[in-house]
Amino acid sequence: MDTKDILAVIEKFNQTALAEFKYREGSVEFHLKRHADVVYASGPAAPAPAAAPAPHSAAPAAPVPALAAPVGETINSPIVGTIYRTPAPDAPPFVEEGKMVKKGDTLCIIEAMKVMNELVAEFDCEILRVLVDNQHFVEYGTPLFEVRRK
Amino acid sequence: MIRSLLIANRGEIAVRIIRACKELGIRTIAVYSEADRKALHVKMADQAICIGPPPSKESYLNVSNLISAALNSRADAVHPGVGFLSENAEFARKVQSAGLIWIGPDPDSIDMLGDKIRSKENATKYGVPCTPGIEGAVTNIDETVAKVKKIGLPVIIKASAGGGGKGMRIVRKLEELADNIKIAANEAEKSFGDGTVFIEKYLEDAAHVELQMMGDKHGNVIYLGERDCSVQKNHQKLVEESPSPLVTPEIRKKMGEDAVRLFKGIGYSGAGTIEFLFKDGQYYFMEVNSRIQVEHPVTEMVTGVDLIKEMIRVANGDALSVKQEDIRIDSYAMEIRVNATSPGTVKEYLPPSGFKVRVDSFLYNGYTVPPTYDSMVAKVIIGAPTRTEGINKMLAVLDEFHLEGVPTNLEMQKKIINTQIFRKGGFGTQVLDSILKEIG
Repeated sequence: MDTKDILAVIEKFNQTALAEFKYREGSVEFHLKRHADVVYASGPAAPAPAAAPAPHSAAPAAPVPALAAPVGETINSPIVGTIYRTPAPDAPPFVEEGKMVKKGDTLCIIEAMKVMNELVAEFDCEILRVLVDNQHFVEYGTPLFEVRRK
Repeated sequence: MIRSLLIANRGEIAVRIIRACKELGIRTIAVYSEADRKALHVKMADQAICIGPPPSKESYLNVSNLISAALNSRADAVHPGVGFLSENAEFARKVQSAGLIWIGPDPDSIDMLGDKIRSKENATKYGVPCTPGIEGAVTNIDETVAKVKKIGLPVIIKASAGGGGKGMRIVRKLEELADNIKIAANEAEKSFGDGTVFIEKYLEDAAHVELQMMGDKHGNVIYLGERDCSVQKNHQKLVEESPSPLVTPEIRKKMGEDAVRLFKGIGYSGAGTIEFLFKDGQYYFMEVNSRIQVEHPVTEMVTGVDLIKEMIRVANGDALSVKQEDIRIDSYAMEIRVNATSPGTVKEYLPPSGFKVRVDSFLYNGYTVPPTYDSMVAKVIIGAPTRTEGINKMLAVLDEFHLEGVPTNLEMQKKIINTQIFRKGGFGTQVLDSILKEIG
């Protein structure tokens, strides 16, 4: 990854609702954080251990929810990945149960192959129930939120 | 060390790989599209992950979802099976760069062998006989016409990135050559995004003979005998047998040694198949398929070597468990592909059984064959001491194959192998036309 790639990541980061983003691959490691006016990039540093993106340290593989089956309309995962309900580890979730969301609002982030994909509401609705836990693995079609259209 | 493995495929090959993993004590992760929620491989695996809607493009060919599924299920390795992404070097590279083990040859080998012009150049370099033709890609049509005059008609135009008969044209008249080159290039461009074509002398009604190869990362390469797959319909194989009635032990040895030289030369590891055209006792290099093949059980039946287990061992860095001198071809095996002629729900399924009778399938009572994927629903494989006994055995075994609810080509397959032409053996890939005439 060269400077151009890193700048491209920063640009993408700026277009998302993410508050924080950490990246590490081989000897490249950087950390982006909003609101702090800091864009910190540590280029080719001392040879980092474990070049691979460590499949074994990833989020737990616990297969999806043991919650009661949703009864109403649900918003389902469009891809396979890991769900992040918050824009940053210490930030509040994008949506909570009982919240009204507008079409285009971010509901959560699903990370797949190091790409943060924002899931946005396709219609105005109320979040009745959140059906998955933060940082859990979701399959294609896993119900994420039970909603009521407005 | 491979302790868990994701199978990036469906159907009978996914079931086959899961069985091998169970023997090796490896945890299995299946993937499935919404159309395959009730598929057998999903039921058999230790874990199953939905990777998309029914169309293959959005599920079994969805690289991002497959790799996410592998990482999140903590798979150590990915086996691509056959078809789908099994010869996709880009997928292999992404699997590797995600820190996973790719069960297959090196991505650079896949790339090189997927390019038919480059693979033919390598075959020539390592002394494997090739069909006479015009060297390299067609660039100038006028020059090509002049060269074709020299080698003589008929010729075949092939797409360098080709497969499945696309971008392939047989030319019997010189005045039709230029137009056919343009058509083939156009078809190749549309199908593979690469319009590069090349020309070979066309061998009328040659047999399709292929050698099963296996290599490891320690430089060992062996050949496990040939398969004759000359009974074909529109380039789709219907019946496969080993050994080929055309191949003598002397020819097999020479063909095998040529192939070993090529595979060692390019540093190939894993399972692979080198395909030849065979005519008048001569063999000519056609291409290498850098993956396991549907008809691999024929070779397993004759040699006693479990090819899927060898693939996993080799990917793990272990040496091949068998040596060339362990491979003995002293019996006969045949495989029949059972293809569904329309989708349907299995009402009653009772597969045959017996000594040296093998059925690889994903059918079960109540299962609905979806219209979305390949039509093959089962492979029936038999082993016997001789070819005649093998044919008789296959006919008896197919009589025992009981399937209601899904129409198949089974009756047709029985007729094919019971014709005088088939029983006589030693035919080329045009044989189905004469067989159909005999059946009437």
